[in-house]
Amino acid sequence: MVAPDMARPTALAGRVQRARDGTTNGTVAGATAPVTLAAMPLIALDGLTKRYPGGVTALDGLTLDIEPGIVGLVGANGAGKSTLLKLLLGLIEPTTGTARVMDLDVRHNGPAVRQSVGYMPEHDCLPPDASATDFVGHMARMSGLPRSAARERTAEVLRHVGLYEERYRAIGGYSTGMKQRVKLAQALVHDPRLLLLDEPTNGLDPAGRDEMLELVRRTGSEFGIAVILASHLLGEIERVCDFLVAIDAGRLLRAAPLGTFTEHTGVLAVEVETGSDALAAALGARHLEVVADGRWVLVAFGGEGTYDLIRDAIADLGLSLIRLELRRHSLEDLFRDEVPAA
Amino acid sequence: MTASRGATTDRLPDAQVRASGPGGSIYDLGYQGYEGPRLGREAAIRALFWHTVRSCYGIGRGGRAKIAPFTLAALAVLPAVVGVGIAAVAAQSGEVGDVLEGNSPIRYATYHGLVSTLVMLFCAAQAPELLGRDQRFGVLPVYFSRALARLDYAVAKVLGLIVSLSAMVVIPYAVLFIGRVLVAPDPIEGLSEELPSLPPLLAQSLLTSGLLGTIAMAISAFTPRRAYATVGIIAAFLIPSIVVALVAAMLSGSIEDWIVVLSPIDVLDGSNAALFDARADSEAVRAANLDPLAYYGAALAGIAVAAGVTIRRYLRIAA
Repeated sequence: MVAPDMARPTALAGRVQRARDGTTNGTVAGATAPVTLAAMPLIALDGLTKRYPGGVTALDGLTLDIEPGIVGLVGANGAGKSTLLKLLLGLIEPTTGTARVMDLDVRHNGPAVRQSVGYMPEHDCLPPDASATDFVGHMARMSGLPRSAARERTAEVLRHVGLYEERYRAIGGYSTGMKQRVKLAQALVHDPRLLLLDEPTNGLDPAGRDEMLELVRRTGSEFGIAVILASHLLGEIERVCDFLVAIDAGRLLRAAPLGTFTEHTGVLAVEVETGSDALAAALGARHLEVVADGRWVLVAFGGEGTYDLIRDAIADLGLSLIRLELRRHSLEDLFRDEVPAA
Repeated sequence: MTASRGATTDRLPDAQVRASGPGGSIYDLGYQGYEGPRLGREAAIRALFWHTVRSCYGIGRGGRAKIAPFTLAALAVLPAVVGVGIAAVAAQSGEVGDVLEGNSPIRYATYHGLVSTLVMLFCAAQAPELLGRDQRFGVLPVYFSRALARLDYAVAKVLGLIVSLSAMVVIPYAVLFIGRVLVAPDPIEGLSEELPSLPPLLAQSLLTSGLLGTIAMAISAFTPRRAYATVGIIAAFLIPSIVVALVAAMLSGSIEDWIVVLSPIDVLDGSNAALFDARADSEAVRAANLDPLAYYGAALAGIAVAAGVTIRRYLRIAA
């Protein structure tokens, strides 16, 4: 569980900041130093730079290793997310630097890399006059699958994404949610080892968003397909990803397991129905660093003993305890604080 | 087949039981992996090539998409059927038959003139759809992120159209050829009589479908808009021949004669006349009286340039 709204100003803010700094120094490097996570990474970027004609620098010296898992790629619109995905596919060529996927240089082994990679583009990519079955089946063959296998895989993958009878109708008549499912299906039909998703929840309503994220989560965690999910919505990343790469203006901001972004802040939050001020005073008297905040009492966490002290204080005061939890960072905090500083 | 069945059964214990009742159970098998062969780039190119050929004739696209290509193809075969009929009558009419045969407007040498307009219409109708559709609906990134390279996409599509067009040209020739062999009083003798026409028939078929097909694709590659491409293709075929006719009518000199090689229609007319040792349809071609090699060379150069333009476009197109 991620505690909501950690940015509330408290006397513990300094402590929160210290914990955060520790994270930064301990696991993640800055924009230029490599981040090594596995002996043979799924993706290895070295000084990857892309400048578009006209002088726009979309990616600027990105050096980074990414290991398998569900990786969130976050950044504002224009941060370089789509450019990075296209470079990984060999859809565009880097200005300088190299990108290796599954230990193959994308620039020289494009078809071999792409045979095991699935890509769901951000924008519309579906011909409205084709049916989902025809389109996905054709794309399976474009990935090198034999005809009969393409047919079987198409039926399976369309069922996996939740398209049933409508798969025989022309795509032009589909809802946005159904179209997004077809886009996911074409990226999965050849059973890739790596799935690159560019804003997969674009244009979906909240229910459709939930379903799409659940599909992505299942595909990544239950079926062992590595996923890179590009999104500007931190909430989505938080829900499905276990590793996070944040880029801003084409530079690497941070790359670390999601847990370190949302790790304990060293703050224990105690929710009581009434008497939070009395509890704060009682805990203060037991030499704990305490702040009362409405129904919450925020306590500096000093180890297992802290729990006992709180339990005893509550029991002494006869209060009813609703919740006792270690607060975590939320992603929004990190971006709110660090993006302007970068 | 057996392997995938096996995999399905293996996974059953993990499957979630979604609903069950007296009629049986529905299993959510979830996502299945694929362990079968991955045939790679070449297989993808072949599949795209055949997909292109099928789309040219509207196969797999619903009834309305078939109307135009099949109508044009039928119109192209029709004269051949009539021609076989004339040959049949001629074969049974002795000397009168020889005269009839000699004056028949439907012969190998004249067939190019009969079908080339249909081939041009076929190009103008189908080429814009082959390339423009994928540009219009943003499908290119989906292609280019698979086993294919950009080059492969362009090559498979161009070859697909050329083969579709050559079918449209070769089938009438074949009808005429086989028909003439069969209606001959002695089919064996008929075959030996017709056989020398085979190489020029094939050569002219390839030049016609190659030159008109690559030009149509080169124009279609530059616009996602179907209407623009169609107009552009017709203009690219007709305007040069009009200009050449005007120049030929006004000027006459050895330099001016060479201008005919810039008009695809005139180049094919010239190659046809040379291959069958016949009179060219175009006034300008007759007036220029160039060496046959000039027409063959111009057609091949035109194919190379137009195919090159298409490929170059696809190597650079944004995706």
